Amino acid sequence: MHFTVLQIILLTLLAFIKHIDYYGIPMLFVNYPVFWGLFTGIIMGDVQTGLLVGGTVQLMSLGVAGFGGSSVPDYGTTAIIATAFGVSMGKSAGLAIGLPVGMLGVQLDVIVKILNGFVAKKAKSYADAREFKKMNAVTWLGPIFFGLSAAIPVFISVTLGQSAVNFILQVMPKWFMSGLTIAGEMLPAVGIAMLLNYMPTGKLVNYLLIGFFLAAFLKVPIIGAAIIGFAAAFSTYKQAEKEGQARAAADAANVTSGIGEDE
Amino acid sequence: MNKKNQKDVYGPIVTKKDLHKANYRWLMSVETYNYETQQGASVAYALSPILRKIYKNDDDYVEALDNHFQYYNTQPWLAAIVLGACVAMEEKQGLAAKTAINDFKVGTMGPLAGIGDSLLMTMIPTIMGSIAAYMALQNNPFGILLWGVLIAIIFFLRMHCFEFGYRQGSKIITEYGDKINYLTEAASVLGITVVGSLIGSVISVTSPLKFQFGKVSMQIQPMLDKILPQMIPALLVLLAYKLLKSKKLSMTWVILLFIVIAMFGAAFGFLK
Repeated sequence: MHFTVLQIILLTLLAFIKHIDYYGIPMLFVNYPVFWGLFTGIIMGDVQTGLLVGGTVQLMSLGVAGFGGSSVPDYGTTAIIATAFGVSMGKSAGLAIGLPVGMLGVQLDVIVKILNGFVAKKAKSYADAREFKKMNAVTWLGPIFFGLSAAIPVFISVTLGQSAVNFILQVMPKWFMSGLTIAGEMLPAVGIAMLLNYMPTGKLVNYLLIGFFLAAFLKVPIIGAAIIGFAAAFSTYKQAEKEGQARAAADAANVTSGIGEDE
Repeated sequence: MNKKNQKDVYGPIVTKKDLHKANYRWLMSVETYNYETQQGASVAYALSPILRKIYKNDDDYVEALDNHFQYYNTQPWLAAIVLGACVAMEEKQGLAAKTAINDFKVGTMGPLAGIGDSLLMTMIPTIMGSIAAYMALQNNPFGILLWGVLIAIIFFLRMHCFEFGYRQGSKIITEYGDKINYLTEAASVLGITVVGSLIGSVISVTSPLKFQFGKVSMQIQPMLDKILPQMIPALLVLLAYKLLKSKKLSMTWVILLFIVIAMFGAAFGFLK
């Protein structure tokens, strides 16, 4: 399967745009495969394959979303590659190339988030050095890194084809690949721990246990835990308001008696 | 509401146009995502023009920026409302409100992530995604179009979140006074409950370890699950929490430590 130079440029660009969109600018098609399959289909001049592959990958990815900084497979990239190859090779062959590259997205995502640590530090140090223009400019490295993390795999796949993808996957040491996957699953723990450090965790540890119990034992989804949390928050608010009013009333009483003594 | 009232809502420094622009700058949201400060650098990027207007003095400006460079992580669409409210606080009280602003931001992170991630990032894509996918499989793009329209509507609403948050924010400060304290306390309760459920669901590390006693092999994970489901994630959070709390290790070192543990876990097969 050979692609024209124009197709290679457009597909690489599409992947670049896809990932910048995914992480915020402007976060419309959030890596949803059904859209990216369709867009690839339009580039390849075969909308039907785009719909078929995009729809298939969309169903595979249902319920997959990266929360709290966790990394998930890049099904959008899978849709682009699988559609591009699927046009002439058929859906299954396309998916056979697209899926491993999509899985690679987890590792690439972790690498970009590590690199972004340096970007954020640099931006802050520019701010401290009062170089405000540079502070704003360096921030743009973030979206560029994310864009490249999808554009490079797509570029390699469409220029070198299936054998190259398999070769790269074989050459990488296995512990490194699965190590990055595990790191991607473990690192949200650090983010959550940081969050807990900022919150009054010591005072409210009972609610932490309730939330954990709901998810770990009862497998309640986040929205369910949020409902229980909201119920608890409601009574907390009422309680705090009551105490606040009582305090205010007591203060008022003190003030009046104070005035009385003055006279 | 008449026109004059509407106009009084903004200012004296921050205009409606500034806030409208901030919506677009906040699109940077997750683009700088990193394991140390998460979306902190994007918050600074989004607010920098407004902060420059509020703080004419370079020292004050840098202090305000540094406040926003700190750890921040939540669902970015809803975060815009909170950041809009922060602008209102910042404009009225300046650096005196520095701690209050950060507390407010941190306190609302959990609830916003809980609502946003489940409703906006899971429910809509699941429902619209399955409709769009099934229709696409029948060579019918109508489902995608329908989802596209919903995306456009949400985008339009998103691009007004800063103004909305600012208006609510000034109201909260001027009219409700100490109610904000009760709200923060209540929000912390909601937030911590949601964070607790995140520990029990988001981190999915398990151990594939097996013990061999003669012919009997025993797997470790089912045993751990019987004692406490999600035990390894809970222990990981506890470890990170203790390390960060003790301030012996910075966030960066804790992250590196976790990556090293993950690599060893993969190489020697005690983590999966």
